[in-house]
Amino acid sequence: MADMEENKEQTYQAELFDKLRKSMNLKREEDCIGCLIKPALWWMVERPDPKSADIEKLIGVDCPCLKNKKHKNASVCAHTISDSINRAFQTKKLSRFICVDGLHGFVYPITQGDKVYGYIGTCYTKTDVSSDVLDVFSAFTDTVVREAQKELELSKLYETLRPRAIALSTVHTVHRLISSTLDLNELLPRIARLSLQILRANRCSIKLVDAKKKILIPKTTVDLREKKTRLKKVKVGKWAPGKAVKFGRPIRGDNYLATPLIDEDVIGVITIYDKIDNKPFSSFDQEIMSTLAEQAVIAIKNAQLYKEQEKLTMGSIKSLAKVLDTRAPGAYIPRASFVKISIVMGQESRMDADEIKSLEYAAILHDAGEVVVPDEVLTKPTKLTGKEFAMVKEHPAAGVEIIKHMKALKSVLPIILYHHENYDGTGYPKGLKKDQIPLGARIMAVVSAFESMITKRPYRLVRTINEAMEEIKRNSGTQFDPKVVTSFVTVMSKKEIRSMLEKELYGHR
Amino acid sequence: MDTDKLLKKPIHMAIISFFHENQASIDTPRGIATWIGEDRSKVKAALEDLVKKKILMAHRVASTTGYSYTRDMELISKIEKLLKSYRR
Repeated sequence: MADMEENKEQTYQAELFDKLRKSMNLKREEDCIGCLIKPALWWMVERPDPKSADIEKLIGVDCPCLKNKKHKNASVCAHTISDSINRAFQTKKLSRFICVDGLHGFVYPITQGDKVYGYIGTCYTKTDVSSDVLDVFSAFTDTVVREAQKELELSKLYETLRPRAIALSTVHTVHRLISSTLDLNELLPRIARLSLQILRANRCSIKLVDAKKKILIPKTTVDLREKKTRLKKVKVGKWAPGKAVKFGRPIRGDNYLATPLIDEDVIGVITIYDKIDNKPFSSFDQEIMSTLAEQAVIAIKNAQLYKEQEKLTMGSIKSLAKVLDTRAPGAYIPRASFVKISIVMGQESRMDADEIKSLEYAAILHDAGEVVVPDEVLTKPTKLTGKEFAMVKEHPAAGVEIIKHMKALKSVLPIILYHHENYDGTGYPKGLKKDQIPLGARIMAVVSAFESMITKRPYRLVRTINEAMEEIKRNSGTQFDPKVVTSFVTVMSKKEIRSMLEKELYGHR
Repeated sequence: MDTDKLLKKPIHMAIISFFHENQASIDTPRGIATWIGEDRSKVKAALEDLVKKKILMAHRVASTTGYSYTRDMELISKIEKLLKSYRR
């Protein structure tokens, strides 16, 4: 430990003198002061306690007294400088001397606190140096030395802080990457991959605690060596993941690191295996993984809450749809197929996840407003009168009135309100045309028309799937957006969609 | 070798050096531009070049892209040699 401290001191001393030797300010000072006291020889002694015998070597300048070994007073001269250095060391102040040839010089100690690191000195000056000049020299040198010391401190600080700042930036980036999704199926593999990238490891497994808090359910395993991995359940308390959960702290071995996911309670565990360089996991890895786990917990909890919220919303929508179904008894609507058709059409139209979710809700709720249409109008088998049709035309706005109180369904409202608008502007309620109609509503217009044609309605006969599709195609460009019709035809050509619809409509096929 | 050519471009060289020294780092173009003291748009283009060469991996989400270093140990050791030769 003492050796380490000593090494650090020596390194600092070497770096400080390196800075001083390169310091332009010090060079300028030597030039300025040199003009006043010339001729002068400048030197630096890079150790606090030089021996007299080493002075010549340490000073390393062409001092005629010291250089000429045959000079009768060379050793006396070295002693004089050495004595002056000792005085400077003791007093931590500038010390003057006169060498045997009557030449003048001085030594200035380079200090920090109580510590002396070395000296700047001059000799071979023919006249005595005035106190004023020495005061200026001391003040200026002190400033230059402090500046060099500050620079060194800053660079040390930079060396210490930079890796931490880079690590912090990594954690921040990971936070952004994992909080950009609320889908657990997407989130957990993403957390696993990012953890592997940061820890430079090969395998990551994420397990979540079951409701009874006894078993860890495997949710995702990523092995970048393309090894086949099995998702295994683990009992709480067993193996590294189970122990990490039981004790609520990381469990580290040479080739594994299990980090608990702690919210108010432990909700799961991230376990990393096998570093790519085969080195053991370190305490730094553990520290980084713990920080990552904190980020992961927030993202996982958010995704779980979102899922719960979504279930709640879907439950409410389904309940509402059930109530609405009782208005038209016998008009069975194969909802799952139409919801699926709407979702796939949304995907075909490159809608984002939120827009597709809105489309899904709208597929169930688009006719919710029919609740305001009297039963006798809704179930009337003959042609509607103008007044009756006016009532029917009220249903999109009525649907919006019913649903607008559910904040989660805000984005569904335009789809419901405009799903009876026609592409050519002849629809209702506002007579919007082309791109004025939201894309979701243009898609819903096709799905809704298709739905009403192939399902049982009191006012007309049921059409076959092919007949209804032909009718949709016939109205492309007038009632319907041609691009949406194309997308609809593509979706309906998918075998699984067609089978699903036929099964719902006609039973087993 | 392509990597050799890329290392001759100062920004590419700076990015590779940064990731080679900080192999556990995942950062955005803005972060990397800060660490190497270069213009963000130039860094962004260089990052994509390096992704194409499989020296970097891109983790893309809607709001940003995080970039991280290759896991290919063979490539990392090639880069190590190249960096040493360039620093000489």
